[in-house]
Amino acid sequence: MHQRQRAGALKKSSSQKCPEAPADNFRGSTKKHSICMVSDFFYPNMGGVESHIYQLSQCLIEKGHKVVVVTHAYGRRKGVRYLTNGLKVYYLPLQVMYNQSTATTCFHSLPLMRCVFVRERITVVHAHSSFSAMAHDSLFHAKTMGLNTVFTDHSLFGFADVSSVLTNKLLTVSLCDTNHIICVSYTSKENTVLRAALNPEIVSVIPNAVDPTDFTPDPSFRRDDRITIVVISRLVYRKGIDLLGGIIPELCLKYPDLHFLIGGEGPKRIVLEEVREKYQLHDRVRLLGALEHKDVRGVLVQGHIFLNTSLTEAFCMAIVEGASCGLQVVSTRVGGIPEVLPEELITLCEPTVRSLCAGLETVIARQRVGSLPPPESIHSRVRTLYTWRNVAERTEKVYDRVSTEEVLPLDRRLLRLRSHCGPVAGSVFAFMAVLDFLFLLLLQWLVPDRVMDVAVDATGPRSMWGQGSSIKLNATKGAANPDLFGE
Amino acid sequence: MWRVLGSSPSADKTWKVFWCRGRGQNISRVMPREMGPDGAPGQVVPWRKVLWEHQPFPDNYVDRRFLEELRRNEGIRQYRYWAVVKEAGFVGQQLSSVAIFITLWLYMEQGLLSPERLLLTCLLSTLLGYGLHQTLTPLTKSGCELRTRLADLQSATIFLSFTFGFSPVLKTLTESVSTDTVYAMSAVMLLAHLVSFPYAHPSPPGSLSLNAALFASVCLASRLPGALHTFAMLSCALLVFALWPCLLQRLREYAPNQFTGLCVAVCVGGVVGLASQSPGGAVLLALALGTVTLFCPLLLVRLQRHKDNIHGPWDEAEIHEELGHILHS
Repeated sequence: MHQRQRAGALKKSSSQKCPEAPADNFRGSTKKHSICMVSDFFYPNMGGVESHIYQLSQCLIEKGHKVVVVTHAYGRRKGVRYLTNGLKVYYLPLQVMYNQSTATTCFHSLPLMRCVFVRERITVVHAHSSFSAMAHDSLFHAKTMGLNTVFTDHSLFGFADVSSVLTNKLLTVSLCDTNHIICVSYTSKENTVLRAALNPEIVSVIPNAVDPTDFTPDPSFRRDDRITIVVISRLVYRKGIDLLGGIIPELCLKYPDLHFLIGGEGPKRIVLEEVREKYQLHDRVRLLGALEHKDVRGVLVQGHIFLNTSLTEAFCMAIVEGASCGLQVVSTRVGGIPEVLPEELITLCEPTVRSLCAGLETVIARQRVGSLPPPESIHSRVRTLYTWRNVAERTEKVYDRVSTEEVLPLDRRLLRLRSHCGPVAGSVFAFMAVLDFLFLLLLQWLVPDRVMDVAVDATGPRSMWGQGSSIKLNATKGAANPDLFGE
Repeated sequence: MWRVLGSSPSADKTWKVFWCRGRGQNISRVMPREMGPDGAPGQVVPWRKVLWEHQPFPDNYVDRRFLEELRRNEGIRQYRYWAVVKEAGFVGQQLSSVAIFITLWLYMEQGLLSPERLLLTCLLSTLLGYGLHQTLTPLTKSGCELRTRLADLQSATIFLSFTFGFSPVLKTLTESVSTDTVYAMSAVMLLAHLVSFPYAHPSPPGSLSLNAALFASVCLASRLPGALHTFAMLSCALLVFALWPCLLQRLREYAPNQFTGLCVAVCVGGVVGLASQSPGGAVLLALALGTVTLFCPLLLVRLQRHKDNIHGPWDEAEIHEELGHILHS
């Protein structure tokens, strides 16, 4: 539902002129790429990575590139689906192992991925999220097939425990011969560079974005007889819900007109319910449960203050959404959060109950006096900060650069793995790379690339999208693709 | 044009060397190839670590402030060799306790030690240990002392009477199992006891380690000649595996010097005792004790130099405050 809504908004705005259209000065990116976005996380799953892939793809399509998305099958959603503007999504039948991430053997996904890459004539493979096994698999196969690779890291990771040592090693292996890496904040870049032992020069920082048309302020929803603090987050430990459980009673005792509006669901809900029970705050602390994306704005506009208590965060889109709805943001100073909003729009606190309470109290005091900027002015300040078109434009530059780089041939790839990933892991994965290459040769011998059907383009320069749906849907591949006869 | 512009920052080119984690490799900074959202790199404005401002730098720009918030080996503990050896002594003495228990069993099995003498020795040492334990118990806890003694007596009676009553059953418990299997099982269980023993807080001994040790004792005791032998062996096992660690913990807290001496004594006792029955075993035990108490601490202290723990703004924040009072005050 929300996808459709979003897409509608995009279509609407696509008729307008792109606000940050490149002045096309020095080296106008006239080159069109065939991009394959790969991640385990995509619609119908919902979250930051999912919407990032969707919005970025839409903006790249608008810029004339060809984009296909590859993810694993979600329940009965398998095969090829088309989303708005001809965004083609392959739901591959791969086994899901844990937390919507697929199992990986490094090899079993090669036949399917090769099929997609060859049929769609992909030039750049762009994998998302370090938690996605499919993304790493696709990088591995793409390098074997000689395609350029880009990886976007959406999360921060520690260094101290066993699980992070292992995942960091895998990331090192996966990224050591990837052409370019994108991180969503400078902190995330430092983290990724350290985790994967990368040259910082091949890591770009391109922040996430928020669709400002989805998050507009409307002060008429606010109740003036009270001050409402809005919290929208999953109710899990990493989002600092225990801190929230400490803040609620302390401030509610002090300010009788203070109300909390909490959206989201998760295992820490019990903490908030216990606090509400113990201090008899049922009328002042409302737990809304899981929110659909389209309902988020309706909750945000009811508040005066947006509170974020996360303990770790690479970028934090929630605070941008809150500020875009005209709320005063109070947040913990963790991860990339200090980079996201200018100082006048955010109050940063240490991740302790005391510091957060102090921060909230100063904002409440300013709210009482009326010295806070009006919601409209906050919105107009935020709306231009992060836009998807800007993200797409900067990502396009990455693709331009990557497409001029060479993909390491097998011998140099093996040397690179051995020299970069340590003698043990390097040798193991070099062996895997050789096996993958042999497997590819076998597949190419069984079904050569030239006899594989070329898919109909729904996006990009040779797009057939919107040229009469009957042709597109019913025509045979050969008829819809004159190139095939030409050869 | 780009080449010209690109060369201007290289005038103040600082070949900053980045420290790169774990690999010790140096990454020299060169001016990144321009690919930013905005055009000219007029490098008059200093770079800021913010995302909300469109800065005249390429997206892959690496400032000299890159990684400046990195902190290494924060709050690291410096180990001193002899302090670690002292702590490792506890592990050594537990190893020796097991050896002593096995020696006693060997004596019993060959009829060199009568069950009556073992029981008498156990009783005496229990009384001695109990007295010592009571002396070392801090006075602040003495409010409910009388009740505690009665409770101790009660549980001792229950344990002893049940063990005595069931010893004929335990004696025949493993008759249908081959002796090799019983020995192998005992060995595995004693190893499990040593591995799972809570060396940091041995009082009370962890349930897994205690159960493994008692299982092994039942297996071994069932191979002895008579029911009284079984009873004596199991009482001895309770003494060695359940009560002894509690007493040692008290000693470690309130009499650290005597504790060290006691550990050494137990280690020596274990080796000497085992030597009287199996010299080869004694040599192996001595080697194991040397490794655990002398070599492993050396390794720990030496390898400490290579510790390379990094922290930075990306770390997950920890909640240090005690938030329980909000709910349970």
